Amino acid sequence: MPDTGIQERVASTIIDVLKVDADLVGSDTRIREDLGSDSLDSVTLVMALEDEFGGSINDNDAKSLATVGDVVSYISRRVEEKSLA
Amino acid sequence: MSRRRVVVTGIGMISPLGTSAGECWSALLESRPSVAATPASWRQYAETASTIWAPLPPIDWPAHGISRIEQMQLDTSGMLTLAASTEAIRDAGIATSLADPKKKTFHLDGLAPERCGVFMGTGVGGITSFYGNAVNHVMTPLKAVLADPTALPPMPPRFNPFGVPAMMPNAVSALPGIRWSLGGPNLTFSQACAAGTVAVGHAFRAIAAGDVDVALCGGAEYLGDPYGGIFRGFDIARTLVSEGSDPQRANRPFDRDRTGFLFAEGGAAVLVCEEADAARQRGARAYAEIVGYAENFDGYSIMSIEPSGTRIVAMIEAAVRDAGCKPADIDYVNTHGTGTAVNDEIESAVIDQIFGSKPLVNATKSLTGHCIGASGGIEAAVTALSLAHQTTHACHNLEQPIRDLRFVRAAGPYQIDTAITQSFAFGGHNAAVVMKRIV
Repeated sequence: MPDTGIQERVASTIIDVLKVDADLVGSDTRIREDLGSDSLDSVTLVMALEDEFGGSINDNDAKSLATVGDVVSYISRRVEEKSLA
Repeated sequence: MSRRRVVVTGIGMISPLGTSAGECWSALLESRPSVAATPASWRQYAETASTIWAPLPPIDWPAHGISRIEQMQLDTSGMLTLAASTEAIRDAGIATSLADPKKKTFHLDGLAPERCGVFMGTGVGGITSFYGNAVNHVMTPLKAVLADPTALPPMPPRFNPFGVPAMMPNAVSALPGIRWSLGGPNLTFSQACAAGTVAVGHAFRAIAAGDVDVALCGGAEYLGDPYGGIFRGFDIARTLVSEGSDPQRANRPFDRDRTGFLFAEGGAAVLVCEEADAARQRGARAYAEIVGYAENFDGYSIMSIEPSGTRIVAMIEAAVRDAGCKPADIDYVNTHGTGTAVNDEIESAVIDQIFGSKPLVNATKSLTGHCIGASGGIEAAVTALSLAHQTTHACHNLEQPIRDLRFVRAAGPYQIDTAITQSFAFGGHNAAVVMKRIV
């Protein structure tokens, strides 16, 4: 189970960047299709996640993150590996 | 069509002296400059001859309407611009309504967007962002080969994907144009230290000619890169002030012991200018009326004023004529007043020749330091405030004037009916704006 702290921080970062209602952000929510994230939004979201968790997220990793759940598991794994702060 | 009248109805300002026009104005009147040692991190890269600067105060960006996300996307010059434009629009009493919550854009209520323009000046726009990306780009491979990355001097954490829009000098005009949904002419002027004055002058002309009814105008700059490289560029050109025995008294325009200008971290001033009748009809309070403008070019040197000052004299005389005035009508000269040997020598001679010792003379840079492309906007705002409040600030640290002019030695009440603010830039650009008291 992903850390609920990480879950909340990912969700609030997504809400902050995409200006969407909290109700819309669930584990299965697709960032592009359901939340209307365009390419500039995606770049901003990566920056905001880097800022929130420290460290850097490379482009290939970023492209593979389709849903909110994907982001949470990716960040959780990186935090566990201590490759993010 | 006869020339329409133009008034200043709103002012927003952030400078080393404060994070609002009110704070800056109080610090000016109380002669409270911002002078501090340059950041220690800069010395990891180079020793500089000048070791003091005028840092900005801490800025609470969210309180100025700049979100955490925007702080990642925008250069500080852009954030300063948006913050000053927000203050200026509020100060002008123009109500706004949210246009697009996601883009965070607003409409100016009751104003036709295509009749509202933006005219901003900047010396170098988002140079700090571009420079940050360059440092990240060059140092990232170094970091990988060094065993101890903590030994490296500061580098930005990422290559910013918004580096290009952050760097564009025109961002200082585009950002307020987008924020306030304005559709009229949107222009950026890049005449170095005269940029803000040129921008205000062209806004005045556009309103006077009927091209627009409302203009946001002024200047913005940010030069506080974490590596000290921008400072070093000015330092190595030997333009900056020497610290001397008392850093607080080092910056002294028009004084015999001046040594150069005090480098400011940055700043922005935005003036809301409007066609006078329309401003009156909506019940706006006006600070001052802009009545004249002129500009010309030295055609002499990329870094130095032409020594005879002939072109500057012609430009100032043209500005006074454009205002329908004679030199004897000018009560207050807000000088370029940088504190360099050459500028102050030529400028004081020019003032003496045209105006003699009748008008009040001060140098806003004696308190703000030199905000480069923002300085003309800041000084236009100070001139408007001086007319509105019938008072002005002292020419700080002036003890032994180089010429017998009527320098303002202490802030206080003065009758000021007509004022001129003038700027001369690297490159050879000269510009001046003439304003009148609202009676």
